This record gives sequence, C-alpha cells and structure tokens, in this order.
Amino acid sequence: MTAEDRALVWLCSLEGLEYRERAALLRAAGDPVKLFEDWEKFLPLLTQSNQSRVYKKGRAARERDADGFISSLRDKDRFAVTIFSDDYPELLKQIATPPFVLFGEGNRALLKERKFCIVGSRKIPAWADQAGRSIASALTAKFAVVTGFAEGGDYAAISGALPSGKLICVLPTGLDNCYPADHYALKSKVGKTGLLLSEYPMNERVKRHTFHARNRILAGLAEGVLVLSAGRRSGTMITANAALDCGRDVFALPHNANAASGEGCNELIKNGAGLVTGAEDLFAHYGLKAEETEASALPPEEEKVLRVLREYGELHVSVIAERADVPVYEAAAILSALEIKNLAVKSGGNKYSAVR
Amino acid sequence: MIAKVVCYALNGLDGVPVEVETDVNKGVPAYEMVGLPDTAVKESKERVRSALKNSGMLFPMNKITVNFAPADLKKEGASFDLAVAVSLLKASEQLVGADVNGMVFLGELALNGDLRPVSGLLPILISAKGHGFTRFVIPEGNAKEARFLGGAEIYPARNLSAVVKHLVGVNPISPLETREFTVSAGKKSSADLKFVKGQPVARRAIEIAVAGGHNVLLIGPPGTGKTMLARCLPTVMPDLSFEEALEITKIHSVAGTLGEEGIIGERPFRTPHHTATTVSMCGGGNRVVHPGEISLAHGGVLFLDELPEYKRTTLEALRQPLEDGVITVSRAGGTFTYPARFMLCASMNPCPCGNYGSADRTCSCTPAEIRRYRKKVSGPLLDRIDLQVEVDNVSYDDLTSTEEREDSASVKERVNAARRIQRNRFSEYGINTNAEMGERELSEFCRLSPEGDKILRAAFEKMNLSARARGRIIKVARTIADLDSSEEILPKHVFEAVSYRIYDKIG
Repeated sequence: MTAEDRALVWLCSLEGLEYRERAALLRAAGDPVKLFEDWEKFLPLLTQSNQSRVYKKGRAARERDADGFISSLRDKDRFAVTIFSDDYPELLKQIATPPFVLFGEGNRALLKERKFCIVGSRKIPAWADQAGRSIASALTAKFAVVTGFAEGGDYAAISGALPSGKLICVLPTGLDNCYPADHYALKSKVGKTGLLLSEYPMNERVKRHTFHARNRILAGLAEGVLVLSAGRRSGTMITANAALDCGRDVFALPHNANAASGEGCNELIKNGAGLVTGAEDLFAHYGLKAEETEASALPPEEEKVLRVLREYGELHVSVIAERADVPVYEAAAILSALEIKNLAVKSGGNKYSAVR
Repeated sequence: MIAKVVCYALNGLDGVPVEVETDVNKGVPAYEMVGLPDTAVKESKERVRSALKNSGMLFPMNKITVNFAPADLKKEGASFDLAVAVSLLKASEQLVGADVNGMVFLGELALNGDLRPVSGLLPILISAKGHGFTRFVIPEGNAKEARFLGGAEIYPARNLSAVVKHLVGVNPISPLETREFTVSAGKKSSADLKFVKGQPVARRAIEIAVAGGHNVLLIGPPGTGKTMLARCLPTVMPDLSFEEALEITKIHSVAGTLGEEGIIGERPFRTPHHTATTVSMCGGGNRVVHPGEISLAHGGVLFLDELPEYKRTTLEALRQPLEDGVITVSRAGGTFTYPARFMLCASMNPCPCGNYGSADRTCSCTPAEIRRYRKKVSGPLLDRIDLQVEVDNVSYDDLTSTEEREDSASVKERVNAARRIQRNRFSEYGINTNAEMGERELSEFCRLSPEGDKILRAAFEKMNLSARARGRIIKVARTIADLDSSEEILPKHVFEAVSYRIYDKIG
C-alpha cells in the first residue's frame, strides 16, 4: 500500500465526516499525503462540531490510527480500493463525485468485470420480481450484477445473481452494519460468494442521505441501469436519474398503464429509456450474443393454459379455468406447475400472469 | 339405622361411584356431613332439610351423620342432594319396603322438593352402566340427554315426593323410552357451501382439508368471506356416528353446554375470541377442571379468526393437542385428560392493512411491519397446518349472481368416498386419515414416481420450502389423489398440493 493509499484510507476511516468535507480537505491540500502530514493546518476547514471532536489528534496518534485501521481490515478479510488503485472501476472515476475509497468484502476480482445495475422499489409486483430474477440470472453470463441491498427489486436481482457469484451489492451503511436488519444472513452470504461494497467507515449507520449517496455509486459502477419497478417519486428514480446524470444507459420494464407501482418505469420509457422485456434485449443493446436456452416442450394442458395467460395478461384462476376449459382445481395445479417452471407467477388474489 | 345409597361424582369424563351412608341415631339433634364434601355439597344439608319438610316428609330430630365414601375423593357440586335425601328417608324408616339396592340417584334439590337438572349426567350414566348399575333416578330436566342410553331403566322424576312414591310403589314412574340416535337429531346450522359466492380455490381447499383431516389456514383481506367458508366446514364433514356423538355429548355435558336437544348430533364449530386465555382454550379451573375450547371442538372444527391476534402462549399450547388428539390438564384438584381431536381452521389477513398481495388495492404496510405481523404465528404451529389458501376479493358480480353453487351435500359425498379409501388403507395402522400419517405410513403409501419427486425438488428450490413442508405436501397430494380415486400420486396431484403452500411463498 502506497503512502497515498494509506493517507486516503485513513481519511475515509474518520467517522462523522461527510463526502464534501473530505473533498474540501483534499482539494485544499492537493495531495492526500500532504493532508495527512499537515493535518493541523487544514483543521479549520472542518465544521465547528467536527473540529472539537477527535480529529485533533497528534501526528503519532494519526499514524497509529491509520495502521490500526488497515490491519483491522485485513483481519476481517476486507480490503480497501482507493481511487489510485489499479482495480478502481474506470467508470466510477468518471462521475462527478467518485468515492475516494471503497471498502469491500468478498470477491475483489468482480470489480474488473463488466457491470450492469438492476434496481427496483421495495414493493414490487410478483411478475416484475420474477422478471428481475430471470434477467439478473441471465445477465451474469456476461456481466456482474450491481444492486442495492433492500427488499423487493434489489432482492430480486440478488436472488437471480447470487448463485453464480457475480453480484456486487453496494450498502448504504458501513460494512459492519446491515440495513434492513433482516438481511443480516444474506449479507454474509453475499460477502462470501459475491462482493459487498461501501464507501463508509465500518461503523457508519444508515442515514437519510446515505441512500442517495449510495445510489450514485450504483449508477456510477455500471454500464447501464435497469429499473424493475418504481413509483413516480421513489428512491429507485433517484438511481435512474443519477444514471442519466453520468451518462449511463437507462432501461425499464414496461408496466400496466394505470399501476402506481410502475408509473416511474413508464415515465422513464416515455422519456427515452430502453424498453426491456428480457435479458436478450440488454444483450442485443450491448451487441452480445445471449446463450440460447432451449425451451422444453410442455404437456398440452400446460401449453393451453400458458397460451391463455400470454394472450390475456393477468387473470383470475377461475377465468383462466373457464378460458382454458379445465376445472378450477386442475387449473390451479397446472398454474403451479408453470410457476415451478418459471413460466408464470401468482400475483396475489389468486391471479396469475405469464412471465419469461 | 344405617342406610346406603349410591350416587356418582365426576372425575374428568368418567363417573366415580360414591356411596352415601346415613346414620340416624338417638342423641342430641345434630346433622353432620363427613367424607371430603366441598361447600356446595355441605350446603345440601339445608336444601335437603327444606325439601323434606316441603314434600310432606319428616326431618328426624336425631343425631344424623352423612358419610360420603370413598373418603379420599373430593366431592363437588349439588348432584348428591337426591341421594342424601333418599338415604336420610331410608335411615329414618320413612321408605318402608323400598328397594334402593343397585339404584343410582342423581339430582339437585330445590327447597320446595323439585329436582333440578345436573351437568355431566350422560358421562355418569355411561360409566355407571359400565360398573353394572342398571337403575337410575334422574331429574326430569335431564331426560332428553339420558334417553339415548339403551339397556338401562331410567326414571325421570319431577320432585322428591314423586321419587318417594315411586320407591314405595304407590305411583311408579314409567321408565324412559330409549330413542335411536339419528343424524338429524340436533341439526341446526344453516351454513352451506352453496351460499358461498365465488372462491373456487378456497372451496376446493376446504374439500381437500376435510377429506384428509388436514388443518387449513385461510389468508385474505377483510370481508372476503373467510368466516363464512369456515362455517361450512362442519357441513361437509362426515356424519357423526353414535359413538362419536356420545363422546362429544359427554364433553359438552360435563361443561354444562348441552342444549335443548340433549345430544350433540352435529359436529361442533367453536370460535373462541382472540382474547381467550390458555386456560379457557385448553381446559382448567380452580379445582374442578372444565374442558376447554379445544375439547369442546372435539370431533368438529376449532376456528381461530385473526390468528396472529391470539396470544402467543395460547397458540403454542395448541401444538401438543394437535399432534396427540388429547389434552392432559393438571390442576390442584387432580390431573384430567380430555379428548381434543379437532380440525383447526385459522384465518388471517396477509398483512396489518389487509391488502398485501392484492392485485387491485395497494398495501400501505412496510415490509418490516408485514414481517412482524407474520412472526406472531410461530413456525412450528404453521407446520401443523397443511393447507394454506388465499381467499380473494369477491367481485360485485359474484355477490349478486343468483347462480347456485354446488351445495355441501354433494361435496360431502366426495369427502365420504375419500374417507372410505383412507379407512381401508389404514385399517391395520390405527389411524383414520391422511393427515395422521407418520413416517412409516408416508414411506409405505406415498411413494412418489421419479417424475413426482422431480417436481417436488423443483418446487423446493423455487419456493424455499422447509424439510417439514415436504411431508405436508405429500400428505395433501395423497388426499387429492384419493379424491380423484387414484391409487398412485400423479404429478398433477403434487402440483395442486404445492399450490396450497402460499404462506411459505409470501413469508
């Protein structure tokens, strides 16, 4: 680790500082090493409250802190990627406010892969969830999937990509914390097979603005962003707008015209986002060849029910039974067969729709 | 002179003979009761004294000792009054020539000598008959309950003087005519599946649940007819046999909840409110242990509306009876075992606001709220519920349609057929329904074809099912196959069974 790296890691390990304060310090010093050496000189740049806190440590204490932090990272099998590192993602460097340091846990090699981001709101219709899973899983053939760590859309992307290990989750907290708390077990799973990233010191808790800041990293890391579902004013839209700001491709799943959960997606498509119905659309956009998945032949009954679903969209099970001309209980059995084969989803209220 | 008369006390659902011995001796007038009587029994002193006087009999002004044997059994309640009065009359030589040997006297006395009905009469009669007693004098008010007991002479009496006249042979009471038990006796429920609008999936689930004796959970927004569906459960269950009816009646007789009919001819449907305590649910009481809701639901349905609102401890207490079919309650007064083989039907909203998963309304709950709501029902309890179905919103068209749906009677026919298949299959295994199958029966009767196994494996990966869920799905698939009169469990049966694990998916 170079002296520059070390100084940057130390700066980013200070808790309670905000991005713009760190940026102001670095700008004033011109060089992280200089900042580290002459720390006292730059202290006045900090806010009053931060000045009076622990940052008034002497040179020797700073050295100790920096080394202690770096060795504790190593102890926990974590690593720090600074903006000077070789494997700091090129794309992320191009955004207006790139994080100076990314703390990571897991497979560091994923940083060098091509990356694609999939996000969605926390409550997501069942069909969109299923679509997100299958798209994420298909994308892992060529991309590492980047996503957040919440329920709903993020979770769909995680479940689709996790089995292949090509998954990068960017946290809105430090690596020691977990939000939402229920995903604690999931966090260690991703940390083992995929990659967890955070720009915050280990202990940083979730705050209102950390989601916003995290979303810029999501958009910055990836070549493009796919929005699975988004209300008109949702956090997911922030990611989409961040992607637009840094010139990334934006894609969205089309939703029903009057569904509140999809207003954001439809709005994006209206404004020129790519309309995506399956992973092959994304592969086509990037000039990649999707691996052909052979469609296995279905029994005639299932074929019939699937045709009804494809033709009419979301339907209640009794209507499906009527149109496919089978008893209701048989329709339920056939639909659950289709569900297991990932061809249909149950969207609540005993209604089903077809997916691909 | 000493007189002995037999009476009965209740111990759980069993009657225990109690001998009432009365000694009337010369001496300073006194009236003592010994042999562990409780307050209500001791108070019979005054009731007996007044009843004798008001019936034109003499209350002896001597030293009177009444002893209840066996002395180590705590005697409770007022059902000893008649026996005390008769033995007193006999000891004071007012019943010359009357033969009270081998007779059992039961009844509470009013001050004017009238006989009041007692609770728990039927179980007492059944036990006493087992002990070899064949002649009973009972209050007229209990006659309806007693008339289904064959092979005994039962004399219903209006008051004490009628009993005396009967005993001395002046005006004998004619013995009660035995009535054959018929299913129609005591039918009063008006619920019927034909009144349920829409809900094809839930109707089917109810049919499967009853056919295989499975427990069922109905999940759906408020006001979609979950309670209505549950009320239909008893109407599609097989008719009660006389033995079953008698057993159920015994429990209700002990609890004192027997209606006008005197016998429970219809499967019980119990709906304890969600504020119910563990004691009221499982049974208990100060010294006498009363049967709880789960015993009152024996042979029928226990319906828990709004399952997550029940107290956690109360729900957890249901787990053991759900497995064993009996509940053993220990109290200071002793340990009692009551039967509690019931079908559990529970209902709940999918989330606190009720709209989660609904296709046309938006849910306003946060994911954390939904999880918290779901967590109120423990996994082990859910594991005992084989079928979980979604009850969906009923459209206005469904509500107003006059088209009559299939009624309970025709569903019941199919249920009976499936039950017959199960009875034949399990005749040597000591169980009756698919839901009761253990590991041994599962491996013997529920072999899956390689294809069926593949489906189940795929379903497991897809739905993140627990290991316990596997057995449940197979049991339900077995029942569906039985309804289909199919020897083998076909893939379509497995698929349908998988579709009734909705909770695993949402959760």
